[in-house]
Amino acid sequence: MARDYVSRGFVGKRRAPSLANRVPPGQYLTPDFPVLSAGPTPRTPLERWSFSIEGLVREPARWNWAEFLKLPTQSFVVDIHCVTKWSKLDTRWEGVSLDTLFEHVDLDPKALFLTASSDGGYTTNMPLAEVVDGQAFIAHTYDGQPLAAEHGGPARLVVPHLYFWKSAKWVRGLRLTEADVPGFWESLGYNNHGDPWKEERYSG
Amino acid sequence: MPPLDWQLGVVTSLRDETASVKTLTLALPQWMPHRAGQHYDVRLVAPDGYQAQRSYSVASGPERVGEIELTVERLEDGEVSTYLTDQVVVGDQVEVRGPIGGYFVWEVGMGGPLFLVAGGSGVVPLMAMLRHRAAASSHIPTRLLYSIPAPGSILYRQELDALQSAQNDLEVFYTFTRTSPPGWRGYARRIDRSMLAEVTRPLGPTFLTYVCGPTLMVEATATALVELGLAPAHVRTERFGPTGKEHSP
Amino acid sequence: MSDTPGDWNSALMLDGNAVGGLLEEVFGREMTSSRCQCAHCGAVAALATLLAFTQAPGVVLRCPGCKEVIVRMVNTGAAVFLDVRAATYVRLERRTA
Repeated sequence: MARDYVSRGFVGKRRAPSLANRVPPGQYLTPDFPVLSAGPTPRTPLERWSFSIEGLVREPARWNWAEFLKLPTQSFVVDIHCVTKWSKLDTRWEGVSLDTLFEHVDLDPKALFLTASSDGGYTTNMPLAEVVDGQAFIAHTYDGQPLAAEHGGPARLVVPHLYFWKSAKWVRGLRLTEADVPGFWESLGYNNHGDPWKEERYSG
Repeated sequence: MPPLDWQLGVVTSLRDETASVKTLTLALPQWMPHRAGQHYDVRLVAPDGYQAQRSYSVASGPERVGEIELTVERLEDGEVSTYLTDQVVVGDQVEVRGPIGGYFVWEVGMGGPLFLVAGGSGVVPLMAMLRHRAAASSHIPTRLLYSIPAPGSILYRQELDALQSAQNDLEVFYTFTRTSPPGWRGYARRIDRSMLAEVTRPLGPTFLTYVCGPTLMVEATATALVELGLAPAHVRTERFGPTGKEHSP
Repeated sequence: MSDTPGDWNSALMLDGNAVGGLLEEVFGREMTSSRCQCAHCGAVAALATLLAFTQAPGVVLRCPGCKEVIVRMVNTGAAVFLDVRAATYVRLERRTA
């Protein structure tokens, strides 16, 4: 197959990254907010919603929606990078920092990793050290509006320094573990860590 | 089976079907006869290597040797469809692979009667079936129920009229979901169980059905047909994305 | 996961027909007419009828009945990762010569 073929005049929807130092290798900027999902949009009613931190903690912590909204909320402006190659800069969120949530539990010293799990069965894993100190939050507001269901609402995890598949939509809990447990995509060819600046997309 | 390889088709003609739908004719160096209902994958490549890929049902019948017709609906934020409808000119090369599919296919040898249900651009693979049927001079009793928002959205109108008039046991029923033509006395609502019961009654108790269109329409139609007593094995479905959004395979 | 149509994000949901090309690339033969059994609910269906979620880092095929995942595929460029653990079987009909 002649690999010098190009589709005359085709560039796609992308924008040239003029802010090149903010766009990781292999990524392109998008003005949209693409919707990606491995399944149908869950629609858990707010009166049945809860978020919990379990596993290697002295006592699990759990919040219902009303309780969750009473937690200290911060504003975050972050760049996000999807492994499918789109990046979006200066996205505006409001939510609860994981640091705030971890204040409500006693972490076992053996807790090194966490698995985030979502409505619909999705899971993703990451080191605990990478979600503390302001590196991650549970977002309930995007661009000044309640987070839309198709983008993970009512609440999703946001971990902007890793590929966006780690920012679990429809998140319902975090489980602290000693061992690293590969999640939905990590167990099927995607990189266990997922640093976009090192282009850690795949596992091999 | 030959391996599924990409090949460079050459655009030999372009035809506007409606304001937002265009048919491209591609001459294929490695053409092989497809089965009506199959599709080709289309892959676009930008100079920096960026790729986008979509699937398009073949609109033409397998009797058109050496070339295929793809009918493409221009979707507002569609990366590939806008390129194919706005940019491509006769003489351009387009990378394709196919034909693909073995489930949503019909040929004359499979018999009938035949009931085809189309939602919007879902009519494309069904048109391939009708064109194949006509080329084979078949008289298998066939009915097409075609749901569209308004008269201006009908694809292949003149050809469908001609095929009906040819008196070879084909009837076409339109149902308009938004605007009907002036004086229209036919169906003017979304496809529902009673419409399906009426349209299929003359086909007898057992017939083959192919449903293609937006996901919700396909699901509702297939469910209704099974509720009317059709064997699920006789109902084949293909979901197209809803109008206005594009999907990569 | 609720089952009513209003809960579905229909813009994302195609069916196995849409990934026929990738399936043929992986299996070396037409696959959409092959049937599989869902390991979750036991329903048997042609791959063409599985609900396909393609707007994702990979392809996910789900049972049209119980909506659980049956097949997952990730195309890394260098390889395709395939997970069919949630299919009790895939039935590959012999083709007559």
